[in-house]
Amino acid sequence: MIVGQIIANGILMGFIYTLVAVGLTLTWGVMDIINFAHGEFLMIGMYTAFWMFTIFAIDPLAALPICIVLLFILGVLTYAGIIKRVINAPGLTALLATFGFSMFLKNLAQFLWTPNFRYINESAVSGKTIELGNIVIGVPQIVAAAASIILTIAVMAFMDRTKTGKAIQATALNKNTALLMGINTKKMYAITFGLSGACVGAAGALMSTFFPIYPASGALYSIIAFVAVALGGFGNIKGALFGGLIIGLTEALGGYFLGTQFKYAIVFLIYLIVIQVRPKGLFGW
Amino acid sequence: MRSKLVLLLAGIMLVTSIFAGCTPKEPTAAETPEASDAPKTVETVKIGAILPLTGGAAATGVKLQAAMEVAQEIINGEHPEIAIPLAKEAGLPNLGNAKLEIVFADHQGNPEMAKSEAERLIEEGVAGLVGSYQSSATKPASQAAEQYGVPFVAGSSSSAALTERGLQYFVRIAPNDDMETAMFFDYLMYLNENFNGGIKKVAVAYIDNEFGVHAKDMVEKWVKEKYGALGFELVGTVPYAVDVTNVDTEVQQIKSLNADAIFHASYIADITMFVNKYKEFKITPKAVMNYCGGFQDTQFVVNLGNDGDYFAGGAAFSAEKLGGMPELAEINKLYKAKTNADLDGPALEEFASVMVLAEAINIAGKLDGDAIMDAIRNTSFDAPYFATGKIKFNEKGQNEVPASYIVQTQDKKYQAVYPKDTATADPIVPFPDWSQR
Repeated sequence: MIVGQIIANGILMGFIYTLVAVGLTLTWGVMDIINFAHGEFLMIGMYTAFWMFTIFAIDPLAALPICIVLLFILGVLTYAGIIKRVINAPGLTALLATFGFSMFLKNLAQFLWTPNFRYINESAVSGKTIELGNIVIGVPQIVAAAASIILTIAVMAFMDRTKTGKAIQATALNKNTALLMGINTKKMYAITFGLSGACVGAAGALMSTFFPIYPASGALYSIIAFVAVALGGFGNIKGALFGGLIIGLTEALGGYFLGTQFKYAIVFLIYLIVIQVRPKGLFGW
Repeated sequence: MRSKLVLLLAGIMLVTSIFAGCTPKEPTAAETPEASDAPKTVETVKIGAILPLTGGAAATGVKLQAAMEVAQEIINGEHPEIAIPLAKEAGLPNLGNAKLEIVFADHQGNPEMAKSEAERLIEEGVAGLVGSYQSSATKPASQAAEQYGVPFVAGSSSSAALTERGLQYFVRIAPNDDMETAMFFDYLMYLNENFNGGIKKVAVAYIDNEFGVHAKDMVEKWVKEKYGALGFELVGTVPYAVDVTNVDTEVQQIKSLNADAIFHASYIADITMFVNKYKEFKITPKAVMNYCGGFQDTQFVVNLGNDGDYFAGGAAFSAEKLGGMPELAEINKLYKAKTNADLDGPALEEFASVMVLAEAINIAGKLDGDAIMDAIRNTSFDAPYFATGKIKFNEKGQNEVPASYIVQTQDKKYQAVYPKDTATADPIVPFPDWSQR
């Protein structure tokens, strides 16, 4: 019976990793730009939900659109203020620039809001559980899982079925050719960063109902999200979904049977094995 | 794909190297701070404080910093209303009323950085060091201090191993996890004998670092040497990673052990996640004991509300005892003005570390490391802010007058519950069902 609970926990945790990874697939997986501030975007999404709840008594689920819009704007501004200036420089430059930005955001959060751990204990879903036989599942996690599936499908549909999505893909494949075809590549980059921010903003609002909120809270999940994207496969958005699920299940089952202190080591071991067998990730192109 | 991975790897290596700091160089005779017979007219005496001011433990680190600043304020100002050494007149009287200046450094929870920051502060000329909260950071930082012959007074770091290294320039104020473990078992026996506790099976959940591993080792040691024969059984140990994102699997393992009491060696972020999961999975052991760490941080009850009730642990502070401790009440008033919160055990111990170091410097009358250490080792320090009233270090550098007692959270307050003569309330056992809160 306990194995059933472990599997349920692993799947739910996997969806949470996916939730964080979906935005990353757009900037890193598709556009090939590493945004080290992705975790800090998540943190800002969580704080936005927290302050909306604390000051205006808006439930994090109701604050979802606010978080999405705010983080979309932050994503666009990040592109305009940082990425745009280093986009033609070697890849390491953009990486360092976003790393610096991530440090700035983390320290700014600590300065503005103190490093105290904050919780939202009274949202519409906080503390609620569903029992399926002996398996207990948290309602906030179920909501987050549903959202991660919806987000993945929405981002996939956007990329495959809209003109803008196809223009983004064209820009990612060959920026100069896309430019010759009349695509405003700068605008595509800005939209991609905005969408990435919007996705992680949604993740922040949903995760604020069951995870502690503090200046370094995003960093832990973003590292796993990087692995989820690479494991799932670059350029394949649904790969992040499966990557997240594999990580969630691996850490839950591996941790339970082989020792909880090794659970992240097992995740990275699986990742190393997969990239040996399939260097482009499980679903990469 | 390959270029993306190479790029990521390069980035990670770069970031790691930034965080790791420079390779420390060995001290040479020329670089070692002079064992100066400083004139008694120095204007400022600098001491270094290394704390986790950013990163995962920053929430605790900034509170410890505030407690140290209160000590600095008391020493440098005139506070005749607080009947503790160095409070009455401004500065250090034996050094011409020199002011104390605490130079703070941030180790971010990174042991390597704690060491390099200790070396930097020593090269800046500090007369002694205090900190570093996490035992894993205190260990390398105090090792560096030892190399340079600079006294290191640890406030709240609790790993027993710290005072087992034979260091000559290191002392620690908090009870170590060896002493705390024995006190936990004595408390459980008290519950069994006086409150029908029925506690026999014990499990340990611990963070996989210096602090947690040694706490677990101490439980194993005490069960083997003493408390096993008195009816206690260690049914399992559950480690978890330092930067853990979730504790679902760990909680399932704990649940499967079906222990009567869980000993936690956890920091504030982890213990809060554990409590939420205990509630989610309806885990109700008879008692939960916490080593000096996250439980003692008052943010524990702020964040968890009544869900944080009935947990217990060792602490040097309970706001419920302020009525009978006027000096502590005054210190708490100054601390509260800074942080808008009451003191907690680790904060009070870090406050004490600054007071002890400053008093030792004052007794020595000079900034020589050996003279300061002589004063530290040979003085019985008045500490009326602790329930025991004294601080005295043994030959290993451990404060042999343990300042802690057992507190239990009851209706969001830390009540002293054991030993009986220090208690402000009776303990509540067993841990009530989650639905009855």
